Amino acid sequence: MIKKPEDFDLGEKKIRMLLAGPPGIGKSTLAMSAPAPLLIDTDGGFDRVEFMYRKDRLVANSYQEILDDLQPQNLKEYQTLVIDTAGRMQSYMSAWAIAQDAKNGQRGGQLSQRGYGAIKREFNRLIDYMFVTLQKNIIVICHSVEEKEDDVIKQRLKLEGGFKNDVWEPMDLGGFIEIQGNNRVLSLANTEKHFGKCTHGLQQAYIIPDLSKGGENNFLTNLFAEYNQVNQAEAKHIEEAKALYQAAMTGGRLLIADVKDAQTANETFPLLAKLEHRLTSEREIKAEWVAKMKELGLVYDKATGQYVQGVKA
Amino acid sequence: MSQYLMTHSLLGAWLRSMKDNPFEEGDDPEKETALEEFMHVLRREKTPATIAMQRGIDFEDLVTSILTDGRPVPYHWENKDKMILLETHPPEKHPYYEAACKVANMVRGAKLQYVAQKPVVIDGMELLLYGRLDAMKEGRIFDIKFSGSYERGKYRDSTQHPMYYKLVPEIMNFTYIVSNGSDVWTEVYWFDEIPRIEPVITDFLHWLRDMNLMETYKQYWGALG
Repeated sequence: MIKKPEDFDLGEKKIRMLLAGPPGIGKSTLAMSAPAPLLIDTDGGFDRVEFMYRKDRLVANSYQEILDDLQPQNLKEYQTLVIDTAGRMQSYMSAWAIAQDAKNGQRGGQLSQRGYGAIKREFNRLIDYMFVTLQKNIIVICHSVEEKEDDVIKQRLKLEGGFKNDVWEPMDLGGFIEIQGNNRVLSLANTEKHFGKCTHGLQQAYIIPDLSKGGENNFLTNLFAEYNQVNQAEAKHIEEAKALYQAAMTGGRLLIADVKDAQTANETFPLLAKLEHRLTSEREIKAEWVAKMKELGLVYDKATGQYVQGVKA
Repeated sequence: MSQYLMTHSLLGAWLRSMKDNPFEEGDDPEKETALEEFMHVLRREKTPATIAMQRGIDFEDLVTSILTDGRPVPYHWENKDKMILLETHPPEKHPYYEAACKVANMVRGAKLQYVAQKPVVIDGMELLLYGRLDAMKEGRIFDIKFSGSYERGKYRDSTQHPMYYKLVPEIMNFTYIVSNGSDVWTEVYWFDEIPRIEPVITDFLHWLRDMNLMETYKQYWGALG
């Protein structure tokens, strides 16, 4: 499908979300509140979900089995794929990567440096496949651990090596579930205690509904809908700003390209001031103007308010 | 009234010194405290680059080389606490080349090393906020970091994005691009989550007065008119 730049893509966007928290806080149950979920259960998370909130699950003993099952024809009724947990998936992928190539492992079965690179690439490929090819929402569940740093207890992802950074990269949203008073809270904010990822426009924290007395488990379905609403408005605003930015940059560059000497510089300079700027276009065009003046050896004479020939660069 | 320069590096060095507790220093008496490091910065004394700093410089030079003239770039390493220049490589032979290419692709077309400054009055002092931006384009500022021990959220408390947002308030977001020489990660701060820099500067000025260091600051940080 060919689209014009002005055709904003405002349709419902699939969402990639990282959900972290200590064991037993209710990550798997919360993930089941996403639209039409399928739990890729590598960690026995299904057993910890209340019976009434359980959904379909994919059970596998190896990463290859997961790949074999993640075929479009098997997934038509699901809108969200839940990886539960990233840590166990990392273990599955490690065994798979070593089986693919012995150089990905070391004696003792751990990953080699090369192996870490291999599973990083494979994780990114898997997320892209689930998101782009299968067109599903993705939730990646991750256990967290507490670490003390400068007298502050920090929540960190329980993952090995650089994977704890890599896992954030493709995510649209990410946060930690924590207890605040009598409530469980999903915090999407960057705080002293943990990192978060929140496309701007959403709340920094949400109280998770208490399901102990029953009720519909639809928190993430509602959050995803809110995200899409906010994101559509924001995307339109950003696209409009970028279009004006691009127009200013194109107009400014055309004007600057025509400057050949002091006379054309003095004719062009007032025209630059008439450009309608957005974002950083004014600064960027000014920088390009200054570079052009330097290239032509033109200097600004404050007394006359004119550019005059100086020394060529 | 005179005007004085204020940079995020100075504020960052001060904040690090505030976190440092001299009574809990390790057992290495020769190790400089963060306060001593801050005093070097306050007096604008040139100190030799540490290996971490040098690797950051090498990496940024490599990105610039890839984006511009392809000039050879040095590669430093640490051997028994000594920094040695291993080799100078053409960019494509440099050990960090692949990672640097990823970074270069992110900032391609940006204005590199863009200097931004803004006069402000804070706590009755005329200051000139100053910053040299690694890259700026399309309403975004990018800062290139090299870190061997990066963990997501590392730059949350940095004074850099608050200072640069004050300098260039029309940006949508500020992105730290972090590499360890092989991997590349990003840490993005949107304009509406960036804290104001003014309270930090106010606290800094008060602290300088309380510590009788204001004259030292004025001596070394006077801005040229």
